[in-house]
Formats: sequence, C-alpha cells, structure tokens
Amino acid sequence: MPRPEVSGQREQDGPKQDDPKQDDLSAVEAGLDALDAPVHQEPPRRLRTVLFNVLPPIAALVVLILIWQALWASALWPEYKLPAPGEVWAEFWSRASNGEVLSIIWTSVHRAVLGFAIAVAVATPLGLLVAKVPIVRAALGPLITGMQGLPSVAWVPAAVLWFGIEDPALYFVVLLGSIPSITNGLVSGIDQIPPILPRVGKSLGASNLAAVRHILLPAALPGYLSGLKQGWAFSWRSLMAAELIATSPALGLGLGAYLQQGNDLSEMSMVITAIFLILLVGISIELLVFRPLERHVLHSRGLTGAMAK
Amino acid sequence: MECAIELSGIGKTFGRGKAAITALDGVDLRMAPGEFLCLLGASGCGKSTLLNLIANLDQPSTGSIVRNTARPAVMFQEAALMPWLTVQRNVELPMRLHRVPKAERAEKVAELLDLVRLSGVNDKRPHELSGGMRQRVALARALASAAGTEEADEPSLLLMDEPFAALDAITRDVLQGELIRIWRKTKTAVLFVTHDVREATRLGQRVVLLSSRPGRVVREWHTRDIDGTGDSAEVTDEITAALREVISQHAAT
Ligand SMILES: Nc1ncnc2c1ncn2[C@@H]1O[C@H](COP(=O)(O)OP(=O)(O)OP(=O)(O)O)[C@@H](O)[C@H]1O
Ligand SMILES: [Mg+2]
Repeated sequence: MPRPEVSGQREQDGPKQDDPKQDDLSAVEAGLDALDAPVHQEPPRRLRTVLFNVLPPIAALVVLILIWQALWASALWPEYKLPAPGEVWAEFWSRASNGEVLSIIWTSVHRAVLGFAIAVAVATPLGLLVAKVPIVRAALGPLITGMQGLPSVAWVPAAVLWFGIEDPALYFVVLLGSIPSITNGLVSGIDQIPPILPRVGKSLGASNLAAVRHILLPAALPGYLSGLKQGWAFSWRSLMAAELIATSPALGLGLGAYLQQGNDLSEMSMVITAIFLILLVGISIELLVFRPLERHVLHSRGLTGAMAK
Repeated sequence: MECAIELSGIGKTFGRGKAAITALDGVDLRMAPGEFLCLLGASGCGKSTLLNLIANLDQPSTGSIVRNTARPAVMFQEAALMPWLTVQRNVELPMRLHRVPKAERAEKVAELLDLVRLSGVNDKRPHELSGGMRQRVALARALASAAGTEEADEPSLLLMDEPFAALDAITRDVLQGELIRIWRKTKTAVLFVTHDVREATRLGQRVVLLSSRPGRVVREWHTRDIDGTGDSAEVTDEITAALREVISQHAAT
C-alpha cells in the first residue's frame, strides 16, 4: 500500500526520538492547554444583577397595590370584602410594632424547620434504599410517588384523631407532606448519575460505604437538592393547612391559626395580612436558602443553566 | 521471569440461554512487568470486556487471572472526573478512599500533577479544562489508585481503554508522546486498548490482535524493543492487513 509522505514524517516525530523532541512536546502541550481550555467569562457585575433581580418584583408589587387601591376606591365591593391597602398595613403594623408578628412567624417557622429536618433524616436513607435495592423500589416506589401527589391536608383528620390537637399531629402532617418529595428527589438524583462514575469509584478501590459517601451522594446532589427544595415547599404548605384546621390554644398562635382567627372574626385585613406573611416566609426561605445553595452547587459543576436564572 | 499478569483460558459470556453473548473465549495472555502492550481489535470484539476483567471490575465466566502487581490504575475513554471536585481533590480521591494521611496525599498529588505536566491547575474544576487536560488529570488520578493499599510496593500496572479516542488528532498525538514519556519514567506495565493500528504500533512494544465474537488472540507482533527501535511502518501495514482479514472473515460467516 503506498503511504502518503506525511505519515512517514509522523513516524519521525514519534517518541522514538530523544530529549529535544520532548521539550518540543511540552511546548506544544502548553500551547494546546492554553488554546483548548474553555474560556470563562467574568461573572456579571454584582450591583447590576442585584438591581435586575430586585427591581422588577418590587415594581410588580407596587403596581398590584395601586390596582388594589383603585378597586377599593371604586367601591365595587363592601369594605368587609375588600379593605383598603392602608387598613391592612395598619393591621400589620399594630402586630409588628409590638413584636407579635415575629412570635407568630417563629411559632410556625420553627415547627416547619424541625419537621423538615426530621423529614430529611428519614427520607435520605429511605431514598438510598429505594434507589439501590430493586425489591424496595418495586415495593415502595409507586406508593411514594402516589403520596407525593396526595394533598397532605387529607391527613389532618387522621392526625387529629390519632394525636389529638397537639404538636405531634402537626409534625405528622408535615412529615407525610415532605418525605415523599425528598425521597423521590434523591432517587432521581441517583438515577441520573452517569454509570461511568460508580465504575471509576470501583476501579479506584472504593468500598461500598466509601462509594456512597464519596461518589453516590455528591453525584446525586443536584437532584437531591431539588427534592429538598420541593420537600420544604411541601412541609410549609402542609403545616399551614394543618394549623388552619387544627387550632387550639395549646398549639400557640402560628400563621395558620392567625389566618383562622381572621376568618372567625370576619376580619379581612387580618386574613390578607396572614396570607401576605405566609407568602413572605415561603419566598424568603427560597431566596435566602435554596436559591443560593442550588446556584453554588450547579455553578461549581459547570452546569451553567442555573446561572442564567 | 515472573509475569505481571497471566490470563489463562479466559472466557466471558453475557446473559444466558438463547440471548447469551460470548464476548471472549479461551484468551491466553501474559504480560511482563514494565511491558507496554497494545490490545488491538475491531469494534465489539471484547477489548473492553477483557480490560474490565483484568481490572477486577467484572468476573470471568471461565479461566483464571493471576496478577502480580499493585492495584491496577484504570483509565477509560472518558476522563470521568468527579465534576464536583477540583483537580487536586480528584487526584486525591483514591488516596482518600484508602485513608492516606493528608500530608502524604498532598505530596503525592503534587508529584503526579507534575508528572502529567499540570502543576498549577490544582484548584480548577473539570469543566474549566480542555479534553486533553482532563485526560491527563484522569491519568494522574489512575496512577494514584494503588497508593495507600497493601500492595502499593508491587510493580504497577496501567490499564487504558481507548483513552485518547475521543480527542482531536493534535491532542491525541501529544498525549501519545506524553504517555511514552510517563511509561519510561514510571516503569509501569501498560495494557493499552485501541482499534487504531497506527496508535498501537506507535505506542506498544507488543501488539496483540483479537478476533471478533468471540474474542480470541489471533496473532501478535513485537513492534519494538525497550529502546524504541524497529521499523514501525512495515509492521503497521502488516497489522492493518491482518486486522482487515479478521474483520472480513467475520462478514463471510
Ligand atoms: N454488560 C454486557 N451485557 C451484555 N453484552 C455485553 C456487555 N458488555 C459487553 N457486551 C457485548 O460483548 C461484546 C464485546 O464488548 P466490548 O465492549 O468488550 O467490545 P470492545 O472491543 O471494547 O468494543 P469497542 O471497540 O466498541 O469499545 C459486544 O458484542 C457487546 O455487545
Ligand atoms: Mg470498548
């Protein structure tokens, strides 16, 4: 077979030559490294991103309040159905100035956080089992997915009958609301791990336990994190539903109970304040905890889709 | 002389019953310590399967494997670095798995990154590197996999499954040169899987040709001695012809 000249040339450039060529090689290599490495853009300036993220929602809020004010001024509905924005603010301020708001929020938030923490502690090993043990997956997988779709309010009557109107009843509802989401998040995180990574782990000599800790869990982190985020949303939602239905002085005044109080008194300004506070807590936790966490995790793995958010 | 690895009568069948695929059948192969051996064969002939068996990632259906080396360092076609770890921590990973003390780890990482000429990128993440750099990090990581094990002092063995196949021609060329340099420096035995005849003759001291379905050793060539002399052009043509023959036989049956 006739061989083109170039390939004959290549043979001489091969490793059979000695050191001067090696120096050559390292220079070529350094050049390649510089040329081929992906170029990274400077992150956009902080102030600009902050403004861009903060201004639009504030503007939207202002517009909403203006529309509300206009509707109120048009007097289409009686005052007890649609109070003036100022009246709602007065209700809020009367509670905020003496610190009552903080205690109401704290009562609910600490319950939700504690319930969420227990849910994480239960759902993590459960998720590992479901993901890794086929028989467990076959047995529990459909059940857990089904429970994820079940509104957790449905558990409130049972919880009250079993535990009375006490804290455990609330925690029960929170747990059933959030465990399925967290479990499924971890399972899908594990399912999405490229199969090559566990094989690499094995070839590097990882024992089963070390493989879980050093490879499986970190590799599943993005999916796990979105499960956690959803789990939190569910525990907050479930708690509000439970507090709203199961009210008792023994439970203290949480956000749900405060909302129920407004309902009992037919005080629309209280009802709106309560809804606003529930929203505020939900948005704050999302923005202060989950968003930065998720952004950090995805960013460090070069999953840039999240940076555009 | 004691062999680095000795395979006798290796067979591997996937599945059972009618759907069973016999990937390997009666493979005998010996490798001397420090030898650079290229395993050549058409696509799907069982090269990866054989490598996995030697790496102990899978068990043979028949036959036995004797390995007189440290835990083999394994490299795949993809770098498969852990995307959440920096370069430093990726190379460190096998040593963390074997509970090597921190100071020792740092020293070894520095040594290995220097070996693959990647000092100074310790804190970068895999996605910030080029394909060639990633493969070099993967090589450094693989070379660390025996560190901290009981057999760490035994002669080393590097198993590579088409490690440069996904790279562009220039990078591949450079990395082949680097591999030879590293092989000379570390005196590790290398089993290099490829389906590229030119790559096989350029790198290997010995080239072993595997037939397809089931994979068997067809022929082998001594392409050059340790000093790297010998006429590779002629051998390349000869091996190419043999490979074609093996493939066309398959079409006839
Ligand atoms: N886990 C498995 N289950 C079933 N069949 C398999 C499995 N792994 C490999 N095979 C089959 O065994 C044969 C050899 O596969 P192998 O991956 O070892 O080939 P290869 O020589 O590495 O091919 P390539 O050049 O494409 O990498 C193929 O026919 C493949 O379909
Ligand atoms: Mg293969």
